Amino acid sequence: MFHQVTRLAGQTALAGVLAGAALADGSDLSIFDWSGYEDPGFYGAYIETYGVGPRYSYFANEDEAFARLQSGFRADLAHPCSYVTHKWADAGLLQPIDTSRLEHWDDLLSGIRTVDGISFNGETWMVPFDWGNTGLIYRTDEISPDDISLEILTDPSLRGRISLPDGALEAFTLAILATGAQDDFPDLSEEQFQAALDYLRAVHENVRFYWSDATQLDQALASGEVIMGWGWNQTEINLISNGVPAEMMRDVEEGIVTWVCGYVHLEGASTPDEQVYDMLNALTAPESGQYIIENWGYAHSNARAFERADPDLVEAFGLADPETFFDGSLFSVPLSPQLDRRLREEYERIKSGF
Amino acid sequence: MSDNNRTGVLLALPATAYVGLLVAAPLGVLVLYSFWTQTYIDIDRSFTWENYRTAFSDPLVRHLLIRSIWMAGLVTFVTVALAYPIAYFVAFRTRNKTFWLLLITIPFWISYLLRVFAWRVILGFNGLINSTLMSAGLIDEPLDFLLYNEFAVIMTLAHAWAPFAILPIYVSLQRIDRSLLEAASDLGAGRVECFLRVTLPLTIPGIIASSLIIFIPTVGDYVTPALVGGSDGKMVANLIQVYFGAANNWPLGATLSLMSMAAVGMVAVAFVVLLRSAGKAIR
Repeated sequence: MFHQVTRLAGQTALAGVLAGAALADGSDLSIFDWSGYEDPGFYGAYIETYGVGPRYSYFANEDEAFARLQSGFRADLAHPCSYVTHKWADAGLLQPIDTSRLEHWDDLLSGIRTVDGISFNGETWMVPFDWGNTGLIYRTDEISPDDISLEILTDPSLRGRISLPDGALEAFTLAILATGAQDDFPDLSEEQFQAALDYLRAVHENVRFYWSDATQLDQALASGEVIMGWGWNQTEINLISNGVPAEMMRDVEEGIVTWVCGYVHLEGASTPDEQVYDMLNALTAPESGQYIIENWGYAHSNARAFERADPDLVEAFGLADPETFFDGSLFSVPLSPQLDRRLREEYERIKSGF
Repeated sequence: MSDNNRTGVLLALPATAYVGLLVAAPLGVLVLYSFWTQTYIDIDRSFTWENYRTAFSDPLVRHLLIRSIWMAGLVTFVTVALAYPIAYFVAFRTRNKTFWLLLITIPFWISYLLRVFAWRVILGFNGLINSTLMSAGLIDEPLDFLLYNEFAVIMTLAHAWAPFAILPIYVSLQRIDRSLLEAASDLGAGRVECFLRVTLPLTIPGIIASSLIIFIPTVGDYVTPALVGGSDGKMVANLIQVYFGAANNWPLGATLSLMSMAAVGMVAVAFVVLLRSAGKAIR
C-alpha cells in the first residue's frame, strides 16, 4: 500500500515536472460541458499544476451535444450523463478510460461506479463526477407532505398546476415509478411501456408547460404558477435558499430517480493524455467534491468528499447516507436504442396532446 | 455577349455563387436525406419513400402543419392590419419621417431572443400585466391564459415582425402620385372612397410584400413557440427540431422540412393570386 502511494506520488510529481518542462498550457485542454461547470473550485489541483483552467464550450442538453460531436465538433473531454454513453460509444465518439491512471478511482462510491453506462463491453467509458436526484418537487404550503404521491399528478383538481421535463427520458422515469415498473426497468414489456405512456398522457391534462431549462421550473414554482414539478435537486436547493416553502419528495417508497454524470474522453482529443488525466484526477479529488457539495449542494462521486464536507450541509442536502439511498432509488439507465427512439417519438405526441 | 450583359453577369456572380453554395446545395442535401433512413446512429442510403408515407399518414404532422399555417396567417393578418395605419401616418401625416422610421426600428436594437424573453416577463404568471392588474385590484388570481398558448405566440410574433410590415407598405404609400388623390376628390370621391379605390389598390404590392415577408418565416419559426408556446402553441418547426435533435432521425426531419416548405409555397402563391384579383375587383 505504502509502496503504491509513493509510486503514485512519484508519478504525479513526475507528471508535474514534465508538464512544467514542456511548458504545457493549461488552456490547451478543451472541455465540452453544461454551463456552470467551469467553476475553478471543481478542479483546483489542475490549476495548481498548470496555472490556468481549461477552455470550456457548452451544450444545453446531451442530444445537442451528440449532434454537434457527430458533425465534427472536437474537444478533449465532455460531460454527459451515464445513460447516453452506450450511444456515444457506439457512434465511435469515445475512447476508453484507463482507470489505473485515475488516482481516486477506488475512492469513488461503489453504487455510482457500477451504474450501467460507466463500464461496458469490457472497458470503462466514463469517470463519474456528479450525481443527484430527479424527483417530485412541490410547494409544501400548497400540498401537505402527507398527501404527496406520484399518483396525484393525474388528479383533475391539479389541472394546469404541474410542470414536466421536456426531455423524454426524464419524464419516462417518472412514469416508470408511478406505474410500478421500476423492478423491470429498463427491460420493459410492451404492456409496461404502454402503461407508462398512458400515465404521461393522463398527466399531460394537468401540465401547464414542459420545462426545458431548470430555471423555468424554479421560477414557476417560486411564483406559484405551478405547485409541483418533476425536476432536479438543484431546483429544490434554489427554492429553499430563496425562502420558498418547497421540497423534493425523497421517500424511496414513493419514487425517486438517481442520475450520474461524468467525464468522457473524446475520440480525436488533441491534448496529451497526461494533461487529460491530470484534469480527471483534479475533478474527482475529495477537495473538489467537498467544494461542490458545500457550495453547490450537488453530490460528488468521491466517497471521501462526504467525510470532508460540513456534516450539517451534507445532512441538509439529503446526502447523508448515499449508499443506502441508492438501493431504493431508480437509476437513470439507458433504454435499448429501439425503445429509446419509440419513446422520444411517442413523448412528442403526448406533449402535443395526441 | 454585349458589354452590358457581361457586366450584369459579373455583378450577379458573387450573389449567385453565395446562394448556390449556401441555399441550393443544402436544399439538395435535404432532398437526398428525405429518401434515406436512419438506423440508430447510421444512415441507410438506399432509396425509399417511407419517410413521406410516415409523414403523410401521421395525424400529428398534419395537425402541426395546419396549426402553423393558421397561426402564421393570423400573425400576418394582425401585423399587416396594425402596420397599415402606422405606415399611412408616416407617409401622409407627418413631416418628420426619418424620426418616425427610426422609432419603428427601435425593437431591432436588441436581439430577438431577448425580446421573446421580455414577452415572457410581460405575459408571465407574476409578470407585468398580471401584477399590474392584481395591484390595481382588478383581479384576485393571476390570469393564466396569457402565456404558454397560441395567443402568446401570435402576440410575440406580431410585435417582432411589425417593422417588416410597416416598411414595405410605407414605401408603396410613399410612391403614390399625390395628383391621383387630388383627381379622385375633384371627381367627387369622398375620403373613404378615395382610400378604397385609389390608395388601397395602389398599395396592394406593398401589402403582398409585407405579408409574404411575415408569413413565410413565421410558419417555420421555432424559437418563439419553444419559449412562449407551451404545449398548445407548438408549431411544425418544433417537431422538425425534435427529429434533428432528440429523436435523432434526420431523414424524417428532412422530409418534414420539405413538406412544410411545399405547404408554405402553395399557400403563399394562393395568397398572392387572391390578393391580386381582389385588388383588381375593387378598382
